[in-house]
Amino acid sequence: MTRQEIEKEIKNIFQREFEIENPGMDDNLREAYGFDSIDAIELLLEIEKFLGFELTQEEKKQAIGIRTINQICDYVEKIARSKTASTSAGEK
Amino acid sequence: MERRVVITAAAAITPIGHGKEDIVHSLLNGVSGVKPLREDELISPFIHSKVYGTVDYPISYDFKRQYRKTMAPCSYYSCQVAKEVLEQSGLTEEFITSGKLGVAFGSIHGSPSTQRDIYRTFFTAADNAAFKKIGAVDYLKSMVHTTAVNITKMFGITGRVISSGTACTTSSQSIGYGYESVKFGMQEAMLCGGADEYDTITVAVFDNLLACSTAFNNDPQRTPRPFDKLRDGLVVAEGAGAIMLEEYEFARKRGANILAEVIGFACNNNGGDLILPNLDGITNTLQLGVENAKIDPDEVDLISAHATATKMGDIIEAQAISRVFGDHPYVVGLKGYMGHTMAACGSIETILTIYMMQEGFIAPTLNLEEVDERCAMLRHVQKIIRQPVKTAAIQNFAFGGVNTILLLRKLS
Repeated sequence: MTRQEIEKEIKNIFQREFEIENPGMDDNLREAYGFDSIDAIELLLEIEKFLGFELTQEEKKQAIGIRTINQICDYVEKIARSKTASTSAGEK
Repeated sequence: MERRVVITAAAAITPIGHGKEDIVHSLLNGVSGVKPLREDELISPFIHSKVYGTVDYPISYDFKRQYRKTMAPCSYYSCQVAKEVLEQSGLTEEFITSGKLGVAFGSIHGSPSTQRDIYRTFFTAADNAAFKKIGAVDYLKSMVHTTAVNITKMFGITGRVISSGTACTTSSQSIGYGYESVKFGMQEAMLCGGADEYDTITVAVFDNLLACSTAFNNDPQRTPRPFDKLRDGLVVAEGAGAIMLEEYEFARKRGANILAEVIGFACNNNGGDLILPNLDGITNTLQLGVENAKIDPDEVDLISAHATATKMGDIIEAQAISRVFGDHPYVVGLKGYMGHTMAACGSIETILTIYMMQEGFIAPTLNLEEVDERCAMLRHVQKIIRQPVKTAAIQNFAFGGVNTILLLRKLS
């Protein structure tokens, strides 16, 4: 999964689920769009669907301080990478 | 310090129309809002009563997603009538968000459709899947004060919140407690009302109590029949009503359009049975209301009776009215037009009464063809009466033995 693919899907989620069109990558989502804690929980569910696996409570808590699309993409990239790494390690 | 309280805006979504023009047209033309009960793929096949006071016309909402996400159908109704009332009142955004405006709004038990979805998930999904399907916003959509706080959120209202959930007296209490909040100086203004959404569980409850109308399933518009000899029970309905209450001097100075003055309110409890109507309890409420308004009972020109069209309820109410008001005031049972809108009925019936005061007519009790002789001691309205109404009372009674009366006066 490339960074470009992640960005595209996150923007799709924002348009489809939150009716936020073309948010700036570094916009503060709360200040610019009123994106609140309820939205954040819904976003995590959408990220789970995108990744194809459930996030642990610990992984979800890591998302609490996220404020921008760039940070969301960093988060998804990190989770996806760690999952890939652990899967690879398991295969060895 | 007691201050005068006036109504400066009103809006309603009812089975007989949305807004004053539609509603007045229905009242003047004997239009009923009672329709066949819709299939719900759950309990409707087992319900004996096949009628429902239905809002079956489109309503165009323009609420943004940030508001919609916590709104169930009852909150859509509530926020729409609140929006219309705020616009009609002409109050500034600065005032609305100042803390001087509060909200008194409720529904009988939050959003039953949301609760039903939760239980459907709970009983059909397996293990973790059920847990995952319960949304982060399900509680916010279904909690008992969901209507009130979706209104405060949407319009940035920061004053007090009162959210009665006392069944059929929910919104008459909203208006009454809103009135007291302004009267005694706690708020300069209160946005008051109630709403309930389409819900077959409420029908099932009354149906099981043998309190629902069943004899007119093939002819819905002929029921309910308040005070009529052939009445056979209530008809559950949906809808919403909202009014703006303001302190009189504040409203006058800003040039507000004053629709009526609230001159009194009373609420009590029967102190016993939770279902059966109680003559002494209701009589006491009406007397307390008249005392609170500091008027003589003869000054009341019109009574909007609770009159659900149950066998005993109408008789007890008629006896109580007779005891306190005699046969002087005209009595109308507005539920004949739309059924029982539950939490909304107090506010909707208040608004319809205001419309009649404004337009100088009294609507007849729809479907009252032959007055039950046990209710015949009252001055029933069976045809349109063109007559000014100066002082009116709105009566509502609820499960739990709660009784209310509101008294309104038209400003000269």
